[in-house]
Amino acid sequence: MKSAAFWGALAAIFAAGLALTGAVANEYYYNALYLILQAALMAIAWNILGGFTGYVNFGSAGFFAIGAYTTVALNKALGLPLPLLILAGGAVGGLVGLGLGYLTLRLKGVYFAIATLAMAIVIETLVINWSYVGGAKGTYILTPEKHLWFDSYIQMLFVVMLLLTLAAVAISRMLSSSRIGRGLAAIRDDEVAAECAGVPTLRLKLVSTTVMGAMMGVAGAPFPFFVTFVDPSSAFNLFIAVNAIAMPMIGGTAHWLGPVIGALLVGTTQEIVKVTVSSEMNVLIVGVMLVVFITLAPQGIVGLARKHLRRRKP
Amino acid sequence: MTHSRRKWLLISVALAAAAALAAPLAHAQQKPIKIGFSMALTGGLAGGGKGALISMEIWRDDVNKKGGLLGRPVALVYYDDATQPANVPGIYTKLLEVDKVDLVVSGYGTNLIAPAMPIIMRKKLVFPALFGLGANEEFKYDRYFQIMPAGPAPKLDWSKGFFELAMEQNPKPKSVAIVAADAEFALNAAEGARANAKKLKLDIVYDKTYPPATTDFTPIVRAIQATSPDIVYVGSYPPDSVGMVKAASEVGLKTKMFGGGMVGLQFAAIQKNLGPLLNGIVNYDFWVPEPTLNFPGVNEFLAKYRVAAKDKGVDPFGHYLPPYSYAYLEVLGQAVEATKSLDHSKLAAYMHKTTFDTVVGKVKFGKNGEWARTRTLQVQFRDVQPDNLEQFAGPGKRIVLYPKEWKSGNIVFPYKQ
Repeated sequence: MKSAAFWGALAAIFAAGLALTGAVANEYYYNALYLILQAALMAIAWNILGGFTGYVNFGSAGFFAIGAYTTVALNKALGLPLPLLILAGGAVGGLVGLGLGYLTLRLKGVYFAIATLAMAIVIETLVINWSYVGGAKGTYILTPEKHLWFDSYIQMLFVVMLLLTLAAVAISRMLSSSRIGRGLAAIRDDEVAAECAGVPTLRLKLVSTTVMGAMMGVAGAPFPFFVTFVDPSSAFNLFIAVNAIAMPMIGGTAHWLGPVIGALLVGTTQEIVKVTVSSEMNVLIVGVMLVVFITLAPQGIVGLARKHLRRRKP
Repeated sequence: MTHSRRKWLLISVALAAAAALAAPLAHAQQKPIKIGFSMALTGGLAGGGKGALISMEIWRDDVNKKGGLLGRPVALVYYDDATQPANVPGIYTKLLEVDKVDLVVSGYGTNLIAPAMPIIMRKKLVFPALFGLGANEEFKYDRYFQIMPAGPAPKLDWSKGFFELAMEQNPKPKSVAIVAADAEFALNAAEGARANAKKLKLDIVYDKTYPPATTDFTPIVRAIQATSPDIVYVGSYPPDSVGMVKAASEVGLKTKMFGGGMVGLQFAAIQKNLGPLLNGIVNYDFWVPEPTLNFPGVNEFLAKYRVAAKDKGVDPFGHYLPPYSYAYLEVLGQAVEATKSLDHSKLAAYMHKTTFDTVVGKVKFGKNGEWARTRTLQVQFRDVQPDNLEQFAGPGKRIVLYPKEWKSGNIVFPYKQ
């Protein structure tokens, strides 16, 4: 996609989101869209490390919860406004991502994946024992009265999440098509060969974990205001981590568009199924889709589309 | 009978028959009153949630058989929240904005009530809630009505009876061990127990929590035993309650009173599983089949529940949550009928001032939406036989010790294995 068209598309989507808040008052749609966008942001973040760099992260829920609990702590301590809380969530998530990178990037494959899972458990244990943010009991966050010119707080949260997701799409695209992205792809294909060819693998991997952590922290930061009651079991929910992995896998991990397509497809299906069949069916849907795509289309939807386009070319 | 008299009689019979036929027809044609809610039908709280739904459907059928509310049939609109708080805001906005429900009630449990509160508060709706422990403490919403009889100070009232009972005994206990799961309900229960123990000047010799995933409780019970407490207060969830009771038996816990806030000991399957190990334990409950709690309608409801619950994988007797999930709809239904309205301000005003007659007895709400007076029972397991589920259906196995108003027997003290 050409640069101008890409930025134009992002601007058009944002404008459409803003227009939607003016045209549709039904709050249900904003709730559903918020969750889909949150899942998309998580998927894009996961894909930076998992897709571009080839390091599988099972601890996404930990980073998400870091964002959520940064909001809880700073809201309680200083009562900061939402934009600052999002920045803080991103900063703390990024720092933890950097730390995780330093500590674990000597590990590869399944060992790295296990280390990320362990990290999420360590953070959860810390939060459970941190009574200031509610500990194991959880804590209430009252929705602020002010919501700019929007009709309701959820409308504003939706627009904020849309903006964040679009920013993440832009960052993801820039990363993948830049020198850094080519370096990350080299690491994914063969790390030793990349190192021999002069690719600064450690530095790039640290960039990758930091950006991923920051994006996930940003995704989690508005969550307390969305759900109003945060406890470790909901913030560190395994389903958040499963979705973050499944969506890029289904959409396609090699391209920046993959996680977006995966998140839109799976997220929308989940939201529809939640109110038509059952919330628990979501897990089954993700599981079945994941198995189908891994066995039949390991490159995801983007991979299938590319194959189709190649065949059509003479 | 003259010809004209016979004609009039025939006409009146025909009119009466037509009216009788038309009434249900009109009732069927009326737009139903929709009551919306989320319910934990899958996930951690599904066992309770499914039982609650069965009771709510029994209430709906009972009401509809009597002609509905305000002459309109009642329909329940619900979605499974999968015991995930993040699902709740979406469900309630869907109920209100898309399904256009007339009334809402909460799902089951504190974690699933709280996420609905901001939406409900913004729309200024009456919100009958099902088993939330102090869920309104932060929100202070004046249209919140909680059916669990925890009382006006839920965290304190939960263990008040346990400690008052202990202090009535001779010799008076001097020390207490408090142990709780590291999770929402258990920590709140332990917090209340701590406050009650301090108020009564009991020496807290052990006060620790354990991770919810704990499976081996023997080291915990041994550590408690090492402090030789006079009483042991436990705040636990169903799997840990089972583990704790078994560990107490294995270790041979020596204390004078044991129990307090163990969730799970109210469920028939766990009662059957633990059998005689339960004997002597004093624990909280909300309804037991003792003669002092034989409220009008409760046995009829439970008979229907037992039939409906068969083979559904839920508690077969339904003594714990089901009567209350029937009752919170009864309260709402009675308020609608009495005010002849679906106006939420009228309903709220009526619910604040009225004492409701329900299958769980008389219900009067206090200012904060909790019961005006606590009726958290303390019951003691007695004469429990091994491998016998049916024994728990009737009286004599869970003796009510507290509150005095509902007492059905005296405590056996001290606790013996």
